[in-house]
Amino acid sequence: MLDFTEASLKKILTRYNVALEKAMTPEEAAEEIYPKDELIYPIAKAIFEGEEDDVIEGLQAAIDAGKDPIALIDDALMVGMGVVTRLYDEGIIFLPNVMMSADAMLDGIEFCKEHSETAPVTKGTVVCHVAEGDVHDIGKNIVTALLRANGYNVVDLGRDVPVDEVLKAVAANNPIMVTGTALMTTTMYAFKEVNDKLLEKGYKIPFACGGGAVNQDFVSQYALGIYGEEAADAPKIADAIVAGTTDIAALRNMFHKH
Amino acid sequence: MAAKRYTSMAYASADEMTFGVSKYPVKAGLDLEIGAGYTIPEINYAPRPEAGASKEKLVKEYERITTDIMERMVQVGFPAVILETEHVQQMSNNPSWGAEVAHAQKTIMEEYHDEYGIKCALRHTIGDIRENRDFLQLRGDKYSVFLEAFEECAKAGADLLAVESMGGKEVFDYAVLRNDIAGMLYSIGCLGSIDMELIWSDIAAIAKKTGTIASGDTDCAQANTAMFIGGGLLNKNLAHTLAVLARAISAPRSLVAYECGAVGPGKDCGYENVVVKAITGMPMTQEGKTSTCAHSDVMGNLIMQCCDCWSNESVEYHGEFGGTTVQCWSETLAYDCALMNTALETKNDKILRDLLMLSDRYRDPQSYVLAYDNAYKVGQAIVKDGDNIYLRAKNAAVECCNIVEEGAAGKLELSRFEAKALADAKAALEALPDDMDKFMDDCLTKYKSEVKVFLPENYGL
Repeated sequence: MLDFTEASLKKILTRYNVALEKAMTPEEAAEEIYPKDELIYPIAKAIFEGEEDDVIEGLQAAIDAGKDPIALIDDALMVGMGVVTRLYDEGIIFLPNVMMSADAMLDGIEFCKEHSETAPVTKGTVVCHVAEGDVHDIGKNIVTALLRANGYNVVDLGRDVPVDEVLKAVAANNPIMVTGTALMTTTMYAFKEVNDKLLEKGYKIPFACGGGAVNQDFVSQYALGIYGEEAADAPKIADAIVAGTTDIAALRNMFHKH
Repeated sequence: MAAKRYTSMAYASADEMTFGVSKYPVKAGLDLEIGAGYTIPEINYAPRPEAGASKEKLVKEYERITTDIMERMVQVGFPAVILETEHVQQMSNNPSWGAEVAHAQKTIMEEYHDEYGIKCALRHTIGDIRENRDFLQLRGDKYSVFLEAFEECAKAGADLLAVESMGGKEVFDYAVLRNDIAGMLYSIGCLGSIDMELIWSDIAAIAKKTGTIASGDTDCAQANTAMFIGGGLLNKNLAHTLAVLARAISAPRSLVAYECGAVGPGKDCGYENVVVKAITGMPMTQEGKTSTCAHSDVMGNLIMQCCDCWSNESVEYHGEFGGTTVQCWSETLAYDCALMNTALETKNDKILRDLLMLSDRYRDPQSYVLAYDNAYKVGQAIVKDGDNIYLRAKNAAVECCNIVEEGAAGKLELSRFEAKALADAKAALEALPDDMDKFMDDCLTKYKSEVKVFLPENYGL
């Protein structure tokens, strides 16, 4: 069988992921940015490691020491999740780590809510759905996990969502943004209907769309459309909106890459 | 029919395998013989989004697509072509729509065959519509509509029947995002295989009744999901060492179709098809560099190494500078096939096979495992316990780990992250029981609790 020499192989391909790999391990990188508070540190570390039981144990210890449960959401859980999302954005950890951390964080938030009379405040609400006629929802599930990981309240309408149901959810929840995902060319057409009905009802909110067959050209055809190439773009678009960029043209300028 | 399990390899050695030649060629359509000494372009397409608005618009769209392809094949002088129509959901949910499209397409193909003698066949890939908004509904009301779609399309003109079935996907989607190798094994290797046995026994019966070909199924819903999430070298969504484990586990799952009466050609997006060909000797369609219109992969040349039909995966129908997309891509496919067929006719096929394979062999752990010599080893691991769907999937995964480890000791470079994901997966595999009943019981308890949309009754569990 034919084979390369080491020298000839290098002329054919480069594994850039190996060539550019960072020297620091994820654990070392996380250790550098964990909060130092002795009650908060174990919670943040447990979030990073995706260990639900350790998160609850850490929260209980902090509450027993007098910390306010609702304040712990921002001061411990979101701080731990911040470590995770920062390292993901920097390419040091991979998506499954974020998903497992997000699971642990959600368990922690529920625990904090159960131990308090007051409701937590989030960065804003985002309505997420998969286009009508489309049942492929793994992309939407990643988007919702990343939004929650970044401190947003998510109204998850699920998959194969009728257009009118999206409108009802917008009316009921006053979101800062709607997301739509689709795998197939024939179902993504529903996004135009969502867009038209949102405008008809006077909702001029950004409508971030992405997924399998969806592309920037298609999303640019309707007035509220913002194209997200990666699921990780969703929290970044939401952050931009919260920071004051609500104009669709400005958001497209920031996020349309092609 | 009950599944007739494979416990031995069709080929005595990996080197026996090449493109365009299979142990068991398949006669189909209008004078076509697949895997009988020549490769065949298989063009796949999607209608424009607005074409789904009505049955009339959809039929008209497919008529344009079919005419464009046949015309281009004749204009450039290619002797054979397969058209693959992957159903949009309207065509499978309403079997009469799918049937009308099949009839319209076949009518046009017959005209070209009559006039020019071009050999051709029509594959219809039925959409796996067995789900409702909240859950998979694999054995519920939609199953009869699903089977009706196969039968109606077969009666209306489809020659090759295929599907990309979804069994196990609800657990897989959860597991793959959590680096959960046991969940991947359970979802693809066990749940997927259980569902495959049900549907392929019925599809094979329909093919027999209608005089058509039960061709095959791919693990698009799971192994390709892993491949797409894995993405390119710089993407950070899934270690490619885990993506290739999903692929290895998908081979015994896709094998079930052939154990229940399918005869090939296996469907294009089954990158696992090279393993399946090694075990069954049946012809396979593959896709790679010519499917960049649909998605990127890291083995565009390599995967051509043992194909019998060569596909573009899918392209939306619209205009390009060189004609419509289906004309451009079918022509590209056909030129690739002309090169492979020239190699076959001049007895240079093994040289070309090895050049294709070597150009991508070390590009990624996924391509390394699917290089035909390594794919053959995965096949051997599967047939070693061919009668046990759990053990053979586990064997495939363990062999995959071993192959990548051996490669990494040589010229296959792994990132530290990929190497760690592989080591973690191997440790998880080694901790699994050998007893299938215990594994199934443990997983049933775990995933019933953790995956809200998992309904064991979908699998008769």
